[in-house]
Amino acid sequence: MSRAALGALLLALALRPAAGQLVTVGPQFALADYREVASGLRYRGSGFGGSLWARRDRLSVEAAVVRLSLDPADGSAATTGFTATQVDAWVAYDVAAYASVEVGVLHRSADPEFDAQSVGAVRVGARSFYEIGPGATVVFRANYLAAPKFSGGGRAAISLDLGLGLDIRLAGRLHGTATYAFNRMNRKTNPGGTGEIDAPIQASLARVGLALGL
Amino acid sequence: MARYLGAVVCFAGLAVPALGAAQAGQNATLRRAQQAYDNLEYRQVLTLARAALRERLTGAERARAYELLGFTYGAMDSILKAVDAFKQLVLIDPERQLDPNRVSPKAYSAFDVALRQVLLVRQLRVDSVSFVGGQGAVPVRFTVTQPARVVARAIGTGGTVVIDSGAWNGQVNLRWPARLAGGDPVPPGTYTLVVDARLGQNTFSASQPIRVSHGRVDTVPSVTSLPGYQFLPETEIPPQSWRPVGLAFLYTGGALVGTLGLESSSLGSGSKRELGLVGGAALVTGFVMMLRKPAPRPAAANILYNRLLRDQIARRNQDIARENVARRQQVQVTVAPVPQVTPK
Repeated sequence: MSRAALGALLLALALRPAAGQLVTVGPQFALADYREVASGLRYRGSGFGGSLWARRDRLSVEAAVVRLSLDPADGSAATTGFTATQVDAWVAYDVAAYASVEVGVLHRSADPEFDAQSVGAVRVGARSFYEIGPGATVVFRANYLAAPKFSGGGRAAISLDLGLGLDIRLAGRLHGTATYAFNRMNRKTNPGGTGEIDAPIQASLARVGLALGL
Repeated sequence: MARYLGAVVCFAGLAVPALGAAQAGQNATLRRAQQAYDNLEYRQVLTLARAALRERLTGAERARAYELLGFTYGAMDSILKAVDAFKQLVLIDPERQLDPNRVSPKAYSAFDVALRQVLLVRQLRVDSVSFVGGQGAVPVRFTVTQPARVVARAIGTGGTVVIDSGAWNGQVNLRWPARLAGGDPVPPGTYTLVVDARLGQNTFSASQPIRVSHGRVDTVPSVTSLPGYQFLPETEIPPQSWRPVGLAFLYTGGALVGTLGLESSSLGSGSKRELGLVGGAALVTGFVMMLRKPAPRPAAANILYNRLLRDQIARRNQDIARENVARRQQVQVTVAPVPQVTPK
């Protein structure tokens, strides 16, 4: 089968409406801003990833992975960039027509390993969603990032993650998605036992993509 | 004298149209009597009509002769003789009726008096009717001209069935259920409905043939709707509103406020590029959705109403099914009068 024929077949499948759509999967393009320790250490970049969403009755699962190439921003003290891979996952349960409680994980790893902090945390929070029109849903979420672990050590008693999401059914099974996430971790370290110092981490991430309903 | 002549002319003018039609083929003497009446030669009418009655006449001719006598005596103010002539007329033709708009009041009142002095059963009528056996009746009506003991019977295939009896006078209306003594419908066939009236030694009978037929009772079809009730749409399109853009603004605003609130002062103000991209998309989507026709949503009240209506229809159909079982065991009785050939 030629590439053109395969492309036409995939497009036809994508534009065909699905009866009970419970799973969507698709690629994403991402933009990111990352800051660490002080205002002088900031990075900006972009990358690609994918997302998966599934629902059964009141239970829904969402996962997204993105690989970002982050470079020092203008005026940054950093001299080299790094690559980050971020994985987000949520399991949500609808408690009302417009609200869910959710738990999940956040894991961001940096490569090279010591160019930025790798972090892993458990998410606990809630989200609100509303269908603002036929096939268009907006989502707002707020998560507490519990028990974060950092590759460089330290702790962060207050770590929060906010999110804004949009899902639009473009045609048939084809959806357009856009999500925004901002997280802030009040990391404190105690290098050499000399006392705790602040080493906050702040990241914002926008993902725009398409998803195919299955 | 002038008043007498005026009355005669008036009466003759009214009566002539009623008499002229039946002259063709009449007895010659009777025809001459009719011509004399048309010429207002009343003495000659009396002579000729009496002479005609002594001849061999058909029933209709005899009735015509007495009618001529009645009109003529009425015109001559001989009311008692007019009454006698009309009595003979109604005995020959009990169904004879005078049109009060076409005959003189004197003749009409004489005819009316004559009717009251003779025992007759007139205008026996049976209406065509169809009903489920045991659930309807055949309307029967007739007029008895004098207070008399009257018995109405149906005589035919199923034997003789007494419809009703009593002492009646004037207009009588009966309802015959067309059932045998056991309660079963009378068998199909031709019956003669006979009304006998007796007053002392005087008797009179009138009859009307009727045909009774049996058929199957129509079953009732199931219903798909109830009169006056209609199914309502189970979805409704909400009115257009600013809600989509309002919610998009609210959610985006929440994310913006949250981001601004969480930003670390030591890290400086972060990039708003990511939020601008997604928030802008949400606001544009909300604006577009505000302009679009809203999606239909379930109308809970209508759904409940439709469910109740469906239950009612199902219940009604169950009743109909039960009723149809009973109807299949019943007989549709149809009764129709058989036209009688009236004597000329």
